[in-house]
Amino acid sequence: MKSESQNSFAIAGAGLLGRLLAWQLLRQGHKVTLYDAGALTSPNCAAWTAAGMISPLSEAVVSDRNVYEMGLYALQIWPRWLQELGKDDAALYEGRGSLVVAHPQDLSELQQFAQDLEYVLPEASNYRHVAGPEIHDLEPDLSSSFQQGLLLEDEAHLDNRTLLLRLASEIRRLGAHCIEHCPVEVSAGAVISARGEERFDWVLDCRGTGAKDRLTELRGVRGETLHVQTNEVRLHRPVRLMHPRYQLYIVPKPEQRFIIGATQIESEDRSPMSLQSSLELGSALYTIAPAFAEARILEQGVNLRPAFMDNQPHITRTEGLISANGLFRHGYLLAPAVVTQVLAELGLSAPSPFAHLLTPSLGESQL
Amino acid sequence: MNDLQNDNLTLYGESFTSRFLLGTALYNSPEIMRSSIEASRCEIVTLGLRRQNPGNRDGDAIWRYIQESGCRLLPNTAGCKSVKEAVTLAEMSREMFDTPWVKLEVIGDDYNLQPDPFGLVEASENLIKKGFKVLPYCTDDLILCQRLLDVGCEVLMPWGSPIGTGQGLLNRYNLNTLRERIKNVPLIIDAGLGAPSQAAEAMEMGFDGILLNSAVAKAQNPPLMAEAFADAIDAGRKAFRAGLMQKRQTASPSTPTVGQPFWHQ
Repeated sequence: MKSESQNSFAIAGAGLLGRLLAWQLLRQGHKVTLYDAGALTSPNCAAWTAAGMISPLSEAVVSDRNVYEMGLYALQIWPRWLQELGKDDAALYEGRGSLVVAHPQDLSELQQFAQDLEYVLPEASNYRHVAGPEIHDLEPDLSSSFQQGLLLEDEAHLDNRTLLLRLASEIRRLGAHCIEHCPVEVSAGAVISARGEERFDWVLDCRGTGAKDRLTELRGVRGETLHVQTNEVRLHRPVRLMHPRYQLYIVPKPEQRFIIGATQIESEDRSPMSLQSSLELGSALYTIAPAFAEARILEQGVNLRPAFMDNQPHITRTEGLISANGLFRHGYLLAPAVVTQVLAELGLSAPSPFAHLLTPSLGESQL
Repeated sequence: MNDLQNDNLTLYGESFTSRFLLGTALYNSPEIMRSSIEASRCEIVTLGLRRQNPGNRDGDAIWRYIQESGCRLLPNTAGCKSVKEAVTLAEMSREMFDTPWVKLEVIGDDYNLQPDPFGLVEASENLIKKGFKVLPYCTDDLILCQRLLDVGCEVLMPWGSPIGTGQGLLNRYNLNTLRERIKNVPLIIDAGLGAPSQAAEAMEMGFDGILLNSAVAKAQNPPLMAEAFADAIDAGRKAFRAGLMQKRQTASPSTPTVGQPFWHQ
């Protein structure tokens, strides 16, 4: 017999949301079964492909205030969660801000960014304009052609791959039943797979684009990234390049690795990176710092961001089944708010400020 | 022209009440795109396919969503840099969307996306022979426009200025020449407009319609900007039909000014 307070949870999908929810529930003493179509140590979720930025200001410009407010929450929560995860895990978080730059001939793109920021967040004061010498002090290896920029002081980034692996080992340590290489279908209180139908008190559907079978309004948005490695360039923070055709970022990772990303193409195409995209990403990288010319390309990442038509995350809830999905290009930025709201829906945490994430319907089709 | 009731835009034999064509790229979300389409009152939307792996129908989710707007889809060949690429993509889009209409772009310069006039004529000729209804995105060069008509285009879409620049009507002299010399073919200003006043001006000059994307999609409130353009296009069209007065020069009077002694004039 289980105790009053202990429930059995099935989590479908071991992406970022699935792992965070599993970890939180296990810490509260619940019984968790975590399903994934792949393997926990070699994930193919969007969160593995992502660059792991926590950038509420930059992302507000391409979305809205709602994303900004969830992002501010993420800036508070991530350092705390990482500390709780393990004594060395706090180091996975870097909070040195981010730098937005444009080449002199593209300065209007930078001005547009500043104007959009001012429009979406008129009260925000956590950023400032920086000129050439200060840009050079902040990031000595950047090309000297950058004479104007914006420093978004509070933004941060995570070593996201290490984090996902750490979460996996912590989830196992806390006793989760992890079922890998097992695609599933979900319904209220039940998970259906090649193993048959298994019953739980609650099923949490965190399958991202894998949930398209149920959530008809969900779509995938293709993103492509390059991973390079070089000892010749050091960056202390993510750098965003504003350009008339594309807006890209470079995020420093451990061992002198860098991720440059990401294209955003309205297509559910998972095929390898196109030459056009690799040219765009590569030439942007090269103009940020010409020393990248001799960097080695370690990986070309391609994945689909799960998104609803408003590009905002949504949670639906029926008795025995909660769906959380649609984190789009903002996984690490929005996951803390979404996880907090799911826990609140389950009555396992205090009411959260993100109740608006709960949506009556996402076009669920009945199985 | 003087019929105040019927002022429809006719393109390849089809009639439209709106003179505004809107692009579907660059919005912060598909939902904002759809609200903008609605606010624009447009009946034709353009759609880029080049990078979406169209052969596999990998863009189906977003295409279906755009189709639900009820607008006519005008597939474009944005991003194509050669005749062959543009023709292949046009053929694919005809098959996918069951329409012979195509907004033809053959891009000559990667940075400012300026049309390649030579490739454009060649691709137009090729596609028209295959039964396409081609709406070519071209520059404001008269001879290019005449060549496009020679190969069978029945609509022309000259730029106001390069794509995405928001510079407005950069060469009014050329644009006026086009309008005066090409009277009976619909001319739609495509690209380069940043402000509704620029769209109104083009319509006052007698252009038949406006196609744009960035000015609406990159506005901080895209649906509101879509409505502003729709209103400006309507106003400009009405002004053209009503007949603008000639500007008058009054700096140096030709006759004595009443009440002022003539030796002071």
